[in-house]
Amino acid sequence: MSEDVVRMQVNPETCIAGGQCELLAPDVFEIDDDEVIAVVQGDGRLDRKVALEVIDRCPSGAISIVEPDEAAGGG
Amino acid sequence: MAAEGPPPPVDLRDPAVFAQGIPHDLFAELRATPGLHWSPQHDGDRGFWSVTRLAEVVEVSRDPATYSSEVGHIQMYDIEEDCLAARASMIDLDPPVHTRLRRLVSSAFTPRHVQGYREAIRRRVRATLDRLEVDGGGDWVDLVAAPIPIGVICDLMGVPEADHGYLIELSDHLVAGTSSEPLPADAYGNTTDLRLLPFNSPAASAMSAYADAHAARLRERPGDDLSSQLLAAEIDGEALSPEEFANFFRLMIFAGNETTRSAMSHLAMHARAFPDAFGAVAADRELLGALAEEIVRYSSPILYFRRTVTRATELGGTTLAAGDKVVMWYASANFDDAAFDAPLEFRVDRPPTPIHSAFGGGGAHFCLGASLARLELVELLDEMFDRGLELDHGTPTHVDSNFVNGIEHLPVTVTRSSDHRSTP
Ligand code: HEM
Ligand code: SF4
Repeated sequence: MSEDVVRMQVNPETCIAGGQCELLAPDVFEIDDDEVIAVVQGDGRLDRKVALEVIDRCPSGAISIVEPDEAAGGG
Repeated sequence: MAAEGPPPPVDLRDPAVFAQGIPHDLFAELRATPGLHWSPQHDGDRGFWSVTRLAEVVEVSRDPATYSSEVGHIQMYDIEEDCLAARASMIDLDPPVHTRLRRLVSSAFTPRHVQGYREAIRRRVRATLDRLEVDGGGDWVDLVAAPIPIGVICDLMGVPEADHGYLIELSDHLVAGTSSEPLPADAYGNTTDLRLLPFNSPAASAMSAYADAHAARLRERPGDDLSSQLLAAEIDGEALSPEEFANFFRLMIFAGNETTRSAMSHLAMHARAFPDAFGAVAADRELLGALAEEIVRYSSPILYFRRTVTRATELGGTTLAAGDKVVMWYASANFDDAAFDAPLEFRVDRPPTPIHSAFGGGGAHFCLGASLARLELVELLDEMFDRGLELDHGTPTHVDSNFVNGIEHLPVTVTRSSDHRSTP
């Protein structure tokens, strides 16, 4: 994975399904209407710059970057 | 009880402190002092810490396990244990119960979903501005700022148009419960012990009675509104009790109405006070969202919410003990110069982050209706710009409250700028 692309994850415990992420990066985030939380689409890859902005704008702090060791562990 | 901090220079419970709007100098002084200020015990409460800086408002808001909305009461005065349960709606509950309630309705409020309400909102905006223009002005609050938000939230909750006025009236009285002159205890035929009612207001029991009747109607003939959805919903196999439904209904009506009205009232004053910012947006509508956001930050319709500390902790250099009360002054945090450049300037070119705390500091309770409120403001502004409306206003009457930064009346005159003289 290139330096500037990261993988995103959403903490289902803290996500409040406000949908800011979906607004900013619709290819990666979608509000699942049944689960009522944001879910990551596909492999969740996002440009690092956009990723940081989405993380900042998530009002519940639910979004984070998957760290390489978590990814290796299958997370 | 933790060690006491310095007391604020005035009693922050006194609605008179907010009589002319947000006391910026006072809050700047509180923010500049390290640690938290301590307001000592008083008639109705056991004393509280004031959280005035944005970073700490965010810290508290995002940690509901340490700072509870459910233990104790989220307004300044204390209420007894037995009363909390009777009045509880999602805003006074902690996860996981809070989460289950919120998820019953949250999908209706995402930015994507609220776009579906755009046309209906715009129609309401047009109707109110038509009426205002016919008369060349009037009370901006009565004619514009009040009817739009109540209309929008009542549509969502399936409340017929004819009842909007009644619900505005009740919700006004709820706020009056935070003022120096509350309603008499038996108003609206109330027989419930005031202690059991939100805002200790008899209007809350009238609103619950309305909710019961509304529920009965919708059980007969369900619609595609949120009330019908709530009545049909089950949590762990159980439907909401009539009391839970009434509390839910009351929260939605109050939260969706009073706050947005306040932002729309301030909007009319901002339009005159900050013509450059408004002019820039009239010329470039891409900036509408930024303008709406700045109006919300600058008006900070809800001054504070309180939390109760559940375990010993430290905040902003002050040691807190379990049971301590912390009051998050959104109206201060939104003008924190550690977070916002020249915070008293009204700007439409602020960076998107940090997010102000007028909708809360983030976390579980972050305003459910934030995207809806933003859309309502954007539609009102866009229509005003389309019409080239020019507003002038007289002296505003502020709501007497230590809890909301509301405007009761705002006399305005309207004209159209010279290039908008013909009807659109
Ligand atoms: C400019 C307008 C508005 C402002 C300033 C505002 C402000 C707030 C604030 C400060 C909170 C508490 C956040 C916290 O404790 O962290 C809140 C919660 C809430 N707001 Fe708003 N609000 C606005 C509009 C609306 C609208 C239009 C609705 C319509 C449904 C709404 C519904 C709610 C609800 C249901 C909650 C409780 C959420 C929870 O506890 O999970 N608000 N709002
Ligand atoms: S922005 Fe954050 S809280 Fe909102 S839906 Fe996305 S992950 Fe959830």
